[in-house]
Amino acid sequence: MKIAVVDADPIVRDFVVGTLMYSVNREVLPFENGLDALIYFEDYGAPDIIVGDVNMEDLTGTELLDKVKGLNRGTIVILYSDLPDKEEVVKTAGADAFLAKPFGVSELFSLVQRFVVDGRSGNA
Amino acid sequence: MIRLGAEPSKMREIELDDVFLSRLQLLVVMSKAYLNGYPLGRHRINSILENANHVKMEAVGLEEDLEWFKDDESFQDTMGFDSAFYQRVKLLSVMAEAIAKGHDLESHKKEALEKNLNAVCKAITFNKQVSEIQFLKVA
Repeated sequence: MKIAVVDADPIVRDFVVGTLMYSVNREVLPFENGLDALIYFEDYGAPDIIVGDVNMEDLTGTELLDKVKGLNRGTIVILYSDLPDKEEVVKTAGADAFLAKPFGVSELFSLVQRFVVDGRSGNA
Repeated sequence: MIRLGAEPSKMREIELDDVFLSRLQLLVVMSKAYLNGYPLGRHRINSILENANHVKMEAVGLEEDLEWFKDDESFQDTMGFDSAFYQRVKLLSVMAEAIAKGHDLESHKKEALEKNLNAVCKAITFNKQVSEIQFLKVA
């Protein structure tokens, strides 16, 4: 099980990485932008789960989603935002889950239960 | 697509205070999982150490702010916690670090940890039970 977190904000990114790492007891890969993440995925393969911000420079969360699903359709993509109108954008792009900011540990635990333990796609 | 998190009308950026409270809640879960005998693992240990250190540093800073600005009427502590609360948080961080470093807590220290956890949970109104989080039972 390979999980990646993509967010330019180190405070949120480190919190999400730490919570997921504790939950699954596996290494979680942090990326500070979508482009770096994509280059890594192209070289080493797409992860099983990506959690990331919608609003990123260079490559937005939905653009990253599109590229990653092209590499591996099975990759679960979970995107978050503080803007309500992004929910529809994320849904149309084909994300498996949308996390509305602010979120906390309970929401991240729910994601682990759903996508890691139960292993279900959000679009199933 | 599933949806989690804030209602649309309450959506906003995640602030430093949000992260402090979320990390504190995570530290509570980590400590309760230990008291319940749930297994650790290399990555869980690293995660506890990193989280405990982050919470401790934040608590020190917030407590200093509280002390520094206590006579300044214009200062507003947005979270409304007192100095005793931050002392409890620092103690919880130290205890969590000890757990992660493999120090087996004696029964009276476990009791102290439980009392401290209960006080912190009451202050932040967080009552999540680790028994609800099934995946923590495996490492």
